[in-house]
Amino acid sequence: MGLTEYVLEIKDLVKDFPSVRAVNGVSFNIKRNTVHCLVGENGAGKSTLIKILTGALLRTSGTILLNGEEYCAHNPREAKQQGISTLFQELNVVDQLTVEENLTLGMEDTTFGFLRKTDKIKQIIAVMNSLEPSISPGQLVSTLSVAQKQIVEIAKAVATECDVIIMDEPTAALSEGEIVRLFKIIKGLRERNVTVIYISHRLDEIFEIGDYVTVMRDGRHIDTRPMAAVRDRAELIKMMIGKTVFEQYTPKEGASTKVVLQVRHLSTRKLRDISFDVHEGEIVGFYGLVGAGKTELARAIYGVDRYVGEIWFRNKRLPCSPDGVIAAGLALVPEERRSQGLFTVLTVRGNVPVMNMGKISRGGFVRAAEERAVTQLYIDRLRIATSSTEKEAAQLSGGNQQKVVLSKCLFAEAGLLMLDEPTRGIDVGAKSEIYGIIRQLSAEGTSILIFSSELPEVINICDTIHLLYDGSIRETIHNGCDIDSERIIHIVTGGA
Amino acid sequence: MNVETNRAQKGLAGSRMSNESFITLFMIGVLVALFGVACAVVPNFYLPQNMINLLTNNWYIIIVGIGVSFLLITGNFDMSVGGVIALTGVLSAYFCQAAHVSQNTLANGLGLPYGVAIALALLCAMGVGAINAFFIARLKVPSIIVTLGTMMLARGTAQVVTQGAQRNTSLPDVFGVIGNMAIPHTSIKVSVLIMVALVIAAFIFEKTTVAGRRTYLIGANPEAARLSGIKVAQHITCLYILSALLAGITGVLLASEFKAGVSNRAMGCEFDALVISLLGGVSISGGFGSVLGMFVGAVILSVMNSSATGLLLSPDWQFTLKGVVTFLAILAQRYALDRRKG
Repeated sequence: MGLTEYVLEIKDLVKDFPSVRAVNGVSFNIKRNTVHCLVGENGAGKSTLIKILTGALLRTSGTILLNGEEYCAHNPREAKQQGISTLFQELNVVDQLTVEENLTLGMEDTTFGFLRKTDKIKQIIAVMNSLEPSISPGQLVSTLSVAQKQIVEIAKAVATECDVIIMDEPTAALSEGEIVRLFKIIKGLRERNVTVIYISHRLDEIFEIGDYVTVMRDGRHIDTRPMAAVRDRAELIKMMIGKTVFEQYTPKEGASTKVVLQVRHLSTRKLRDISFDVHEGEIVGFYGLVGAGKTELARAIYGVDRYVGEIWFRNKRLPCSPDGVIAAGLALVPEERRSQGLFTVLTVRGNVPVMNMGKISRGGFVRAAEERAVTQLYIDRLRIATSSTEKEAAQLSGGNQQKVVLSKCLFAEAGLLMLDEPTRGIDVGAKSEIYGIIRQLSAEGTSILIFSSELPEVINICDTIHLLYDGSIRETIHNGCDIDSERIIHIVTGGA
Repeated sequence: MNVETNRAQKGLAGSRMSNESFITLFMIGVLVALFGVACAVVPNFYLPQNMINLLTNNWYIIIVGIGVSFLLITGNFDMSVGGVIALTGVLSAYFCQAAHVSQNTLANGLGLPYGVAIALALLCAMGVGAINAFFIARLKVPSIIVTLGTMMLARGTAQVVTQGAQRNTSLPDVFGVIGNMAIPHTSIKVSVLIMVALVIAAFIFEKTTVAGRRTYLIGANPEAARLSGIKVAQHITCLYILSALLAGITGVLLASEFKAGVSNRAMGCEFDALVISLLGGVSISGGFGSVLGMFVGAVILSVMNSSATGLLLSPDWQFTLKGVVTFLAILAQRYALDRRKG
């Protein structure tokens, strides 16, 4: 079989989710033995596309040709057999085994039940040695660094003659020196007949390592071109955000100057020296890409994770425990709705009053009538689509579940409400309803912190926007008519 | 959605009972069926006295079942209750046996007044609960491991104190009173009344108190509970101490009934308590269940035991029969619940 020019040809690929079309008629080709970068904002459809290639998701329609032949994988194992291997962010190595055992996992040959060293295994070890001589086959994987573990996985993919290796944010956990080494290895992969699909939010890396770049936006394919044909970061950013029309933000009349929250020199394992103020009724946004430290910041303020530094709310120092922080007057809508926010096996009535039981009880006894009334009040106020207060939370749609979590936090009657990815995975209608509620709360004097990886969301409702990159605030913007979204993307992708 | 379907759905939801009531009714159905079969095949099973026995002879399992159920609802096991029953019984005897009266060490105690002896014994029981809580709630060791450990520890201590046997001599007369007191002209003992009172109190606790609500919230989602400001570790600590206290009360009552602190009293009781909770519909993954269901589960277990005895089955076959029925009942329950959801 003669080798085709393109290792992968994607035609009219579509993936529908219940409320959204995540990949919308995407077509592009990937040239053999190149490093092909894939960029786009959060929610552009990159991850969905990659999941289809690795077999984690099934496409709705469209064709994918691998080496000119129809390709379809139902799981990562099938994808690997057909020649597409993936370097996930969560590395797929077994810490308790040696490097050699990891490399040969699943292809052991035995004689009478005893392991046998075959030529195949020797060949894998040889590949490993040529990629990175410093790793010895007898070493325990648990003693390796993240970068070295990645190299073990790459070696396995190369040795099993994979045509394509997908790398999803491989440098997220690496140091500068390790990144240089990894890039050297990636560049060397071209000579070994391997095509790399490289996904990263760090645009500088794309320029350094990419041969081709494909830009996606809102589930669509925007452009694929040789890296040499992209002038600079600015041009790439322009392609990524396009001419998104943002809802008009209207600055508030007579904003309060009273400071309610002061964060001073906050540092954790992930965050570096974060300081900022929040005023009464102010909506403050934290925007950054995946891994920038948004959730870590929310959790630190809320007292879930340990930190150094000081946090003051209404001139009192906040304790480092969620119950103490809630008592002080804060509330958090967590990032993971189902695992951190909602009690799915309980009813709507069981969920809504949870954070302020004192208000619906006397002497430790719950007043059932008040409890039902409060629940009904929030069902009406937030227009939660449920047939009754007694419906199990698990049976509601995503947007309505989010409204239940929001009700829970609103009923806490907090002076400062934190929302971590408040509209993730919910439909447009519910989204704008939630924005309406946030604006109303702010008008009533509640301060609000929004941690979001959706730029339109932040620009749409926040008065002040802090841009996070790599665990620190890189720039602070006061929202107004002259907001420059290209500059924002420039900063949150690591630009100076 | 138009108004009409909305209304139709509301009507449906109104008539639809909660999963908890469904499970309880389902298990009552199972109980009635089993009872019917038992009446048909076991001689004299339908006699009123036997029915009263069915409801009352498991009183000690039901009392410890209350604590075990609540902990199970929070997603934690308590396997130490059987050991705590033995330990408290033995200690209550040891504390009020007369001091220096005999050559036999098993006849010598501390000579404390009965009230003090009981209070101290209950305090020791709560100490075991506190040990459980410390390892489970603070150090996050899996509850099954910790409580299996304290189960051995408690029973082991009971065996040391009794030298592997029992303490039944030189006890004051008051020691045997409460466990043998009965309502005049009936066979219903004070212990049974205490059990009934505790079940009612537990039912009120779980249905109407804020603390009861928290028990379910922690079981339904411990992480969300913590992020909602519930002091999860503190609540679980209280429940472990409560569970140990209930086991302690049971231990004192049983020791009084037999006028002896016996080191192998209530052997396997922790498993029976677990079984009746599960039979009663308490979810092994937490967040769901009721003491009322647990009570029904206890009566089912009682019917099984009683009919096995009535059929003159040898003890080894009794055990097997109990196992099979428990297994089938829980299977049927899960099946019914899944069908209902689907």
